[in-house]
Amino acid sequence: MKPENMKELEYNSILEQDILDAMRKPHPIYWLALFICASFFVLGMITWVIQMLKGMGIAGINNPVGWGVYITDFVFWVGIAHSGTLISAVLFLFRAKFRNVFNRSAEAMTVFAVMTAGLFPLIHLGRSWLFYWLFPYPNQRQLWVNFQSPLVWDVFAVSTYFTISAIFWYVGMVPDLAIIRRFTSGIRKKIYSFFSLGWTGSLKQWRHYTRLYMFLAAFATPLVISVHSVVSWDFAMSIIPGWHTTIFAPYFVAGAIFSGTAMVLTLIIPMRKIFRMEKYITVDHFDKISKILLFTSLIVAYSYVVEFALAFYGGHKFEESHFLYRLLGDYRYLYWLMVLCNVILPFTLFVGKLRRNIPYLFVLSLFVNVGMWLERFVIIVSSLAKDFDPYNWGIYIPRWPEVFITLGSFGMFFTFFLIFTKVLPILSLTEIKEEAAE
Amino acid sequence: MKNQYRFDEKHQFLEKLENLIKDGVSSKKIITYTPYPVHEVEHILKVKASPLRFFTLIGALAGLLFGFLFTIWASLDWPIIRGGKPIVALPAFIIIAFELTVLFGGVISFIGYLLLSRLPDFSKIQNPEEYGNQFVIQIQDGETR
Repeated sequence: MKPENMKELEYNSILEQDILDAMRKPHPIYWLALFICASFFVLGMITWVIQMLKGMGIAGINNPVGWGVYITDFVFWVGIAHSGTLISAVLFLFRAKFRNVFNRSAEAMTVFAVMTAGLFPLIHLGRSWLFYWLFPYPNQRQLWVNFQSPLVWDVFAVSTYFTISAIFWYVGMVPDLAIIRRFTSGIRKKIYSFFSLGWTGSLKQWRHYTRLYMFLAAFATPLVISVHSVVSWDFAMSIIPGWHTTIFAPYFVAGAIFSGTAMVLTLIIPMRKIFRMEKYITVDHFDKISKILLFTSLIVAYSYVVEFALAFYGGHKFEESHFLYRLLGDYRYLYWLMVLCNVILPFTLFVGKLRRNIPYLFVLSLFVNVGMWLERFVIIVSSLAKDFDPYNWGIYIPRWPEVFITLGSFGMFFTFFLIFTKVLPILSLTEIKEEAAE
Repeated sequence: MKNQYRFDEKHQFLEKLENLIKDGVSSKKIITYTPYPVHEVEHILKVKASPLRFFTLIGALAGLLFGFLFTIWASLDWPIIRGGKPIVALPAFIIIAFELTVLFGGVISFIGYLLLSRLPDFSKIQNPEEYGNQFVIQIQDGETR
């Protein structure tokens, strides 16, 4: 926040200097962190290659649980992406100013999370090189894809989401890249100049720019709701007990924003500490974002109750027995742990002091990340493990390829994020300046 | 010849801009450069609303139309019954049409933005024009807009 008596010009140049300091030559610890993340990424990629060479048999998924950790990871990463769009687009439309310090990193998180998520359907395919069969083109028998299939909707939803998020992120960054351009030299200046498109800040550029930003925000808002709804329909359109329910779309959207907000905290709390952004990202900002976390946690908790209530009142034998299985069956510990992480722990945020306690928020965000991953795992696996026919029941335990590829996906995500913090401005300079001038 | 005024503070810049308009300088001769969007400038210079909205509208409608036409046409191209549902299953196609509305709308808005604001400007990529955090008013001889 700008101190009352400070001149605008002075504040703005201090702000720029602080952001540039964050982009200076990295500390050895940064290289170590990057090395660790990149190693996990490489490990995951090698595992994927081995899986392609040897076949899907080396993974744990089989009949009856054909969707396991890979689909869990897919839903998890798409979900992580959602909070970035919420912060950058929805809160923008609501004129919630506290978003200004979060939006750049949250949007970066969105783009990287969708990229990570996009790999999982391909990993899950087995014959990954045939991924283009998903796209609508007539095959050799002149047949088109089945547009009634939720999996085809997914292709459209996720690719649109990635495109729009990437455009939104880039558009927001153009004026900031023009600022970075001013302070760099040599080849770096050339690169920043190129990507800032020759920006000058003239009225002509700004007046269309503000419109464009608003329109993109207005597009991204319904888009973000549609994307996770479509992902939820991958399940809800089937007749499997535990999946076949109308509550899935809002339940998944709220869960996605919940998990994404937790990931924002996981990323931004260390980032703020390392780059000394305490001046800009204040405790008040964390107070506000943890209210979003609490609010979405309430919706998720409500959905957990409603799921059981629907099964209980529906009078559908299979639904009833499925939910008893979820609560008391083979995966009960995971379910209970999920309730602990997603409901009981986040409810502590009703205490105002805890919302302003940053180490506490960091630890809590890790629990929520775990909890939301478990939620997807429990929903996907427990429904498939025990559906209608007892002859067709079975247990799924992930094997090493799933474990390594999941670790690899975290490695990929954090590698990209670490690179982002060093090459791009981590705060939205123009928006903070605009806010400070008011 | 160009007249240029530079200010460190937004309010000084806006005052000067108002005075210039009062003194009868045509708003079409004025170019302003600001470090962040200053909406008051648009009011003072009485700039018309950005035509970007037409790009957005046309893009969105094109996406919507294409989404429906494409799915319907592709389904009729080889009519095969799937899951006992109608061949033209509009409720399912709404989802595709919606996604394409957003996709086309967003992409065409972005392209429209680049066209309207004349970006990328290659000469300025070579030699960037920098005003720092200053607010700048330029008065040009000819009309700029």
